[in-house]
Amino acid sequence: MLARAHTFTIEGLHARHVTVEVDVRRGLPAFTIVGLADAAVREARERVRSAILNCGYEFPAQRITANLAPGDVPKAGAALDLALACAVLAASAQLTPERLGSHVLFGELSLDGQVRAGRGTLAVAQAARRAGFDALVLAGARAREAKLVDGLQVSVVEGLTSAVRVLAGGRADSLPAQLPCAASAHAAPGPDLSEVRGQHHAVRALVIAAAGGHNCLLSGPPGTGKTMLAQRLGSILPPLSRTEAIEVARIHGIAGATAGSLAAKRPLRAPHHSITAAGLIGGAGRGWVGEAVLAHNGVLFLDELSEFSRPTLEALRQPLEEGRVSIVRAQHSAIYPARFMLVAATNPCPCGYAGAGERCNCSEADLARHRRRLSGPLLDRIDLLAHLDHHEAHDLRAPALTSSGKAREQVASARRRQARRLRCDGVALNAQMDARAIARHIHLGEDSEVMLQRARERGLLSARGQHRVLRVARTIADLDGSANVRTEDLGAALALRGDAALAGARAA
Amino acid sequence: MSAFALEDADRAACVPCLRRSWLLGELSALLDCNCREDGRLYELLALPDGNLLKALGGRRRAELETRHRGFVGTELERSPGVAELCRHDARFPCALRRPGVPPMLHVAGGLERLRDLVEPPVVAILGSARSTDYGIEMGASLARGLAASGVTVASGLGDAVAAASLRGALEASGKGLAVISGGLDVAAPVKRRGLLERLRGVGCAVGELPCGVRARRWGVAASLRLLAAIADVTVVVEATDSPRELAGARLAQSFGKAVAAVPGRLTSSASRGSHSLLLEGARLIRGAGDVLELLCELDRSAPGAVTPRPLELAPRLRGVLERVGDGADTAGKLIGGTGGADEVLSALSELELMGLLRRGDGGRYVPAQPLPAPGVRYRSSSQMEP
Repeated sequence: MLARAHTFTIEGLHARHVTVEVDVRRGLPAFTIVGLADAAVREARERVRSAILNCGYEFPAQRITANLAPGDVPKAGAALDLALACAVLAASAQLTPERLGSHVLFGELSLDGQVRAGRGTLAVAQAARRAGFDALVLAGARAREAKLVDGLQVSVVEGLTSAVRVLAGGRADSLPAQLPCAASAHAAPGPDLSEVRGQHHAVRALVIAAAGGHNCLLSGPPGTGKTMLAQRLGSILPPLSRTEAIEVARIHGIAGATAGSLAAKRPLRAPHHSITAAGLIGGAGRGWVGEAVLAHNGVLFLDELSEFSRPTLEALRQPLEEGRVSIVRAQHSAIYPARFMLVAATNPCPCGYAGAGERCNCSEADLARHRRRLSGPLLDRIDLLAHLDHHEAHDLRAPALTSSGKAREQVASARRRQARRLRCDGVALNAQMDARAIARHIHLGEDSEVMLQRARERGLLSARGQHRVLRVARTIADLDGSANVRTEDLGAALALRGDAALAGARAA
Repeated sequence: MSAFALEDADRAACVPCLRRSWLLGELSALLDCNCREDGRLYELLALPDGNLLKALGGRRRAELETRHRGFVGTELERSPGVAELCRHDARFPCALRRPGVPPMLHVAGGLERLRDLVEPPVVAILGSARSTDYGIEMGASLARGLAASGVTVASGLGDAVAAASLRGALEASGKGLAVISGGLDVAAPVKRRGLLERLRGVGCAVGELPCGVRARRWGVAASLRLLAAIADVTVVVEATDSPRELAGARLAQSFGKAVAAVPGRLTSSASRGSHSLLLEGARLIRGAGDVLELLCELDRSAPGAVTPRPLELAPRLRGVLERVGDGADTAGKLIGGTGGADEVLSALSELELMGLLRRGDGGRYVPAQPLPAPGVRYRSSSQMEP
């Protein structure tokens, strides 16, 4: 007898529909799975057999053939177990098959018949809704992720027995008590900007970066607070919108990083500098997503930027430019979203003390090597550069200038202003404006035009650099609530631009 | 006890100045590796001995520091006919007593003759590393005309235009002054050894490096400081438009000296630099007569005409500039506890655009010589207010 069940397998960041066909025929007892199954799926035979027997059902002592269709899509992961087991039960007439056609079954089985949650539940729920299914059967641990999708009936099951009951028209199990899930609730207060002393212009640069989504580089001797500042960036960014939060939850759910909650906080990824290019953007194996993708809608923080290997940093060029990663390998290709804010920190020289008086003992050759590592097209994509100094004694005693709460309000109102202005351009932030949007929205006064022309003539500004300075100037004006970009805004943006000073280019 | 190392006629230099020259000779190869960029080179050369050693010494730092401490003056290689002259001696040319110019010279041809030659007027003739026959001819004829009128012609030995100018000057009157980029005994290329010998006999040759030190690439850029400082007018005969080729003219401008240029064919890349100088307002030179006329004008209007007009700065810009000069040289220090970040950053940008500040390493701002600005006149927003 033949039975069909429906499930999904994760491929990259997407879920692909898989039909599980099970045929039970007379013959020598055997259990064969065909259809590009990976090792985890082939091992399902043992789990399915034990689970069926331990739940008190009968495992047919006949020739069982399971086909996973479509045959050309590789299937991975253990979450196909539940569909396999139910199809086997239906094919051996222990389960009425009417509802199998409309339900999606997704979960891994334990040997005693318990259902475990699989990775990527949210992606599966979204794909199931799109494919026209109206019910999803899965384990409780990640059920709240699936409930975020409207119009899908989610049935929570604890074990194979409950799944059979649901498929026979019975009641589902209840959701496990309280799971951490709240789109608006704030977690325990994290680090706050009011703990930062001095470094006013670095704080200002960080607020500008947060308001306009600009990439930012903090440079300074050790112990001046670069990492401290970067860690507080999360506290001044506005919370994720619902759409963004669902996107984030989907990506992180597939990577197995969250436990079924919808986070309000933007993700902050801070990989160690020994990371490889594949680790940063993905593509190490099928479906492996990198740190840049995990930082989507959030912040990618690269501490000790000059210690990262050159190929790793070069790999960031595409995501920084296009907001997505497209990976092509011999066996597969994928496009992942990766629109993040890059925040990097570096020392000004190998010993770290350049510009701090007598303490630097780097030779000219060391400095040149350091500059070479940092220079290049990556720096060209960094809009803001803030140099941090050693603290003076009175800086440490002085009260903090701002707090995360105040800064967050400033950032939020600047972002509202941008969103209102840019609503026809299909982008939300100044940093994402293209040349046409810049021409449409940024009108300079006569003095500002002269200033810009002057900077070009002095060789301080390339054509791309000019666009970046204009975007930053627009953000500064937004922060101050000004309708037009004023000369002071442009001046401040010019002083914060990063390329010339680090690349070692000097005006003649 | 006198500060002078040896009481002999040819040694008019004190130990610290000799030591500086010795140190540059020792660091010559390292300077060459590290200075692909002229701006960087001039910054390094402005460092005091200790910091220079720290910056460049590398593996040899400890050894050089020991030798530097024990230096008495006898270590320097000497060669017959080469005198040493430092700025602590009365005979040191007045034109060279300014910051950014080497404090001591090695002189071949005699100190007396040097004193005669550096008496104004002096005209420097600069050529290009890729000189053409036209440039060589123009350089030689200019130099002949000038030297015949009693003007000293100063030039290097590195390129063909410069060598032709010195030859021209020697043919006319012998008033040729060569600025050599290495040690006086070994520096000249083989084909110009003869010219150097004649210069030593009739004119004069000076250099900043001690005898025995081979000429290197950085030396050419460094010798431009001497040329630009010693000359009243710097004439660029040929130059491509790379910063390196125009470095001499830029230095002369920053010293407040007059710059002139000889035009070439518009299609020739070897004259592109001279043409851009002309466009910026350099005097156009058709022959020796034009240079003489320019010298006369300078003489009439000296000294006010060549010193840059003091800039009128808005109070807030002046305040920031003064604080940078006082040592608050990073944006962080300038903003300090006041919190007016945008105003300070904006002022820094304006000053940078005016050429009054330059960015150094580690986010430091360095006060700079204002250069005459090409192109549009720039006024800061606050100066525009009535």
